[in-house]
Amino acid sequence: MRYFLRKLGFFLGTLWAVVTLNFMIPRLQPGDPAELMVRRLQGKDSQLDTAQVEAMRSMLGAPDGSLWTQYWAYLADLLRGDFGVSYTYYPFSVAEVIGQAIWWTVGLVVVTQIISFVVGIVLGAYAAWRRNSKLDTTITLGSTFLGTLQPFWIALVLLYVFGYTLGWFPTSGGYSASTPGLNMFFIEEVLSHSTLPAVALLIVTPIGWILGMRNTMIMNLGEDYIRLAKAKGLPDRTVALRYAARNALLPSVTGFALALGSVLGGTILVETVFDYPGLGRLMGEAVSNKDYPLLQTLMLLTTTGVLIANLIADLLYGVLDPRARRAEG
Amino acid sequence: MARPNEGTPLLEVRNLEVRYEPKASRSLTAVQDVNFTIAPGEFVGLIGESGSGKTTLATALLRLLEKPGRISNGTIMFDGTDITHLDQDELRAIRWRDLSTVFQSSMNSLNPVVRIEPQFRDAIEQHSDLRGEDVSARVRELFDMVFIDHRFITAFPHELSGGMKQRVNLALALALDPKLVLLDEPTTGLDVVVQHSILQNVRKLQEEKGFAVLFISHDIGTVLDLSDRILVMYSGRIVEDQTAAELLREPLHPYTKGLLGSYGDPRAETVRITYIPGRPPDLSLVSEGCSFAPRCPEKIDRCLTEYPELLPIESGEVACHVAALHRLVGADGIELPERNRRFVGPEFVKTADESAHARERDIVLTVDNVTKVFEKRRGLKVDRTVAVADTSFVLRKGAVTALVGQSGSGKSTLARMITGIDSPTEGRIVFHGPDGDQEVASFRGRALRSYRSHVQMVFQDPYSALNPTKRLGQILERPLVNYHGLKGDARRKRVEELLETVALTPADRFINRYAYELSGGQRQRVVIARALAVLPEVIVADEPISSLDVSIRAEILELLNDLVQDHDVGILYITHDLLSARMLADEVIVLNEGRVVEQGPVLQVIRDPQDPYTRTLLDAVPNPF
Ligand SMILES: Nc1ncnc2c1ncn2[C@@H]1O[C@H](COP(=O)(O)OP(=O)(O)OP(=O)(O)O)[C@@H](O)[C@H]1O
Ligand code: SF4
Ligand SMILES: [Mg+2]
Repeated sequence: MRYFLRKLGFFLGTLWAVVTLNFMIPRLQPGDPAELMVRRLQGKDSQLDTAQVEAMRSMLGAPDGSLWTQYWAYLADLLRGDFGVSYTYYPFSVAEVIGQAIWWTVGLVVVTQIISFVVGIVLGAYAAWRRNSKLDTTITLGSTFLGTLQPFWIALVLLYVFGYTLGWFPTSGGYSASTPGLNMFFIEEVLSHSTLPAVALLIVTPIGWILGMRNTMIMNLGEDYIRLAKAKGLPDRTVALRYAARNALLPSVTGFALALGSVLGGTILVETVFDYPGLGRLMGEAVSNKDYPLLQTLMLLTTTGVLIANLIADLLYGVLDPRARRAEG
Repeated sequence: MARPNEGTPLLEVRNLEVRYEPKASRSLTAVQDVNFTIAPGEFVGLIGESGSGKTTLATALLRLLEKPGRISNGTIMFDGTDITHLDQDELRAIRWRDLSTVFQSSMNSLNPVVRIEPQFRDAIEQHSDLRGEDVSARVRELFDMVFIDHRFITAFPHELSGGMKQRVNLALALALDPKLVLLDEPTTGLDVVVQHSILQNVRKLQEEKGFAVLFISHDIGTVLDLSDRILVMYSGRIVEDQTAAELLREPLHPYTKGLLGSYGDPRAETVRITYIPGRPPDLSLVSEGCSFAPRCPEKIDRCLTEYPELLPIESGEVACHVAALHRLVGADGIELPERNRRFVGPEFVKTADESAHARERDIVLTVDNVTKVFEKRRGLKVDRTVAVADTSFVLRKGAVTALVGQSGSGKSTLARMITGIDSPTEGRIVFHGPDGDQEVASFRGRALRSYRSHVQMVFQDPYSALNPTKRLGQILERPLVNYHGLKGDARRKRVEELLETVALTPADRFINRYAYELSGGQRQRVVIARALAVLPEVIVADEPISSLDVSIRAEILELLNDLVQDHDVGILYITHDLLSARMLADEVIVLNEGRVVEQGPVLQVIRDPQDPYTRTLLDAVPNPF
């Protein structure tokens, strides 16, 4: 229990620090932070864009009052989900813009991550259990080869072959003609639009899990407890799953939680190639349009995502590996 | 006592050969032409030095050999079935139900992420009709058999101490009342007292339940204590197969004699222990004749050309030309060495009066009422551990003081304070050196460095103590440069001298070798040579022989003894083994939980122990005599 409380405390502490830094940084300079920020983003000589200053100000909050009152107002805004207004999508608020995009990314990336993880772990474990068999060689060589290819390049090839040449799948966007909602037409469109980006991700992501799982599992197969499990005359399945895979899984599970955390940062390249309306594309836009409120919120979101993922990874590790609990608790 | 030819044997091994054929290095035959049987309910010991193939043999019997190892010849009959080539599915039927095991160094035999109970449950449910609460009841019963509290049934493996893990492994092996249990050095690495109690437990259970045991060990004393019959293994072959009583009365193979010779009765006025010079052969090279010949004091011409068959001689079987000629065929004109019960090789002798003189020599170091308390902060609480309490003794020039006690008794803490790594919480350690009396705890910087040239340490593990990337010459030069600033020829000469002192001769054959090319005994010699390089007055030797094979331990003891005699060094010899303490030391201090419980001339303490703890330690020394 102490282990879990300690990890939770650590998480809350770091989260607070991140949020506070996010508040402090724009306020460290003298003058109107909103104006300053916009100037910096636009370059010294250009005309000051009032709409942008407005957007910035509403994101930063009123510059009057003591730092304390500002800080409390900022925290209250955060809790309410008020992150200001996006410059690119003016007059939509940042929260609305992100709220739209996040589901696309979560849908695409989380689903492909989970599939990749499961496929990767199963293939890796199987390859290790039957090591040096034909299947193992195929799996290992195949993933090593695919691993040398750039994901960006794979995405382009897919886009060219299945999108433009064969025309099997739409080449950009998340949907086209339908009305968003729970209707068959929309769902069908979403699926067909997300197929190519999903395939691009599914080709690259499992490789790490396959090779990682295979290596740890082969190492674990040499352990005494595996030999003893065999000597006990347990069925191969039990030895492979409960003894070997169960132990070999530990490092991968933590890795998986971390991978999910960085999802929010988006898969910028893949989303950009397919012009997919998720967080990755949004991030790209925010950078190129210098949409400061949007960018900053996305950053905050990403960091928080990574922190939460870390927390989950730690907690999971504590559940899965009893030794971790004692070593630190 | 059960004999192999009474009734059908439980296990019958014929012409067994196991080869390792690794891709990266030369293949080797680790087990060669092995023949033996085990009768139901028989307790058989298998003894041999490190690398002789004991684990390989056991793994082959369990049919758990993995690439690059394989059974390349012979058959294994278990309980009437030829299991040599059964596939894994067919083997499953006899695994654990009839044939179970405890692995060597099986600290890691339990799945670390699963509680203990399910690890019993899966085996029990796999092979019996017990389910649910019946299994739990069986686990409780098993825990009772090995004297472990039931609350550990639901623990995770890492929550158990080493000794407890080993007991749990034993209980697990007995879960299904098997017919044969293979125990591969089940207690190596554990404290002597713990070892002793676990092995007594094994023997008692074996007598009650009537299962057969193949007990593997490199320690002939323990094996003799426990076994009905003993197999002696040397470089992959069984060289002698005898009942324990016969083996003790009249060992036939010179190697057996050598192993037995490494034991003596610590209570005797004069103790002699022998050692076997040299090291076992490289198994990847094909040898002609008897593989023991290079180390054998009894060898005759025939030994170099013909391998001796394992022949029935008297009540057992022996593979030795000389033994066969003596007892079977008659000399037939060949000149034979005398029939001898002892190993007629080098021996190390210790008499009682040597010690009497040593105890009058000058004092070099005084440990005066020393206490060491470790404080560990855990949150707001402070845990205080008293590692050493109020201990006093002296070290003398040219004399050896043994510090005896089980693990955790504070031996190493004392050693660290004496070498100046730690300082006492209370009390003083005074060095009576060339610059007068000085308190060790007060040394800093240069003074500490110069003190370290007077007091040197030799550690337990010669394998990790030497830098594997350096040649022996370089290893020995370091301290010469650091402490004495020796250069060029003078340094080279000193290095050669050191190698010769520790009997690594001729020195120029060793000077350019790497530590990994040496045997354990040779490595420990290098470690000792390095300690001697600085001409120390005191050597603190922390279990210097416990990681070595029994057959060469006496050799290192003799070397240390020579240093004491010839170079007037004082030694603090830390050990848990009272026999070696008797061989080397003049005075002994018995520590228990940081306190001195007994102190005095070695022979007196051993013959007439006053403290109950000393008696426990003495009982734990295997004593086949
Ligand atoms: N997997 C392996 N591959 C190649 N050689 C091996 C392998 N395992 C053991 N050997 C070799 O086989 C020989 C016998 O080793 P084994 O472990 O059976 O000895 P042992 O008698 O059990 O020694 P110890 O007392 O140290 O446990 C040694 O020369 C060893 O180097
Ligand atoms: S056969 Fe010869 S060399 Fe081998 S043990 Fe017997 S006497 Fe010694
Ligand atoms: Mg072994």
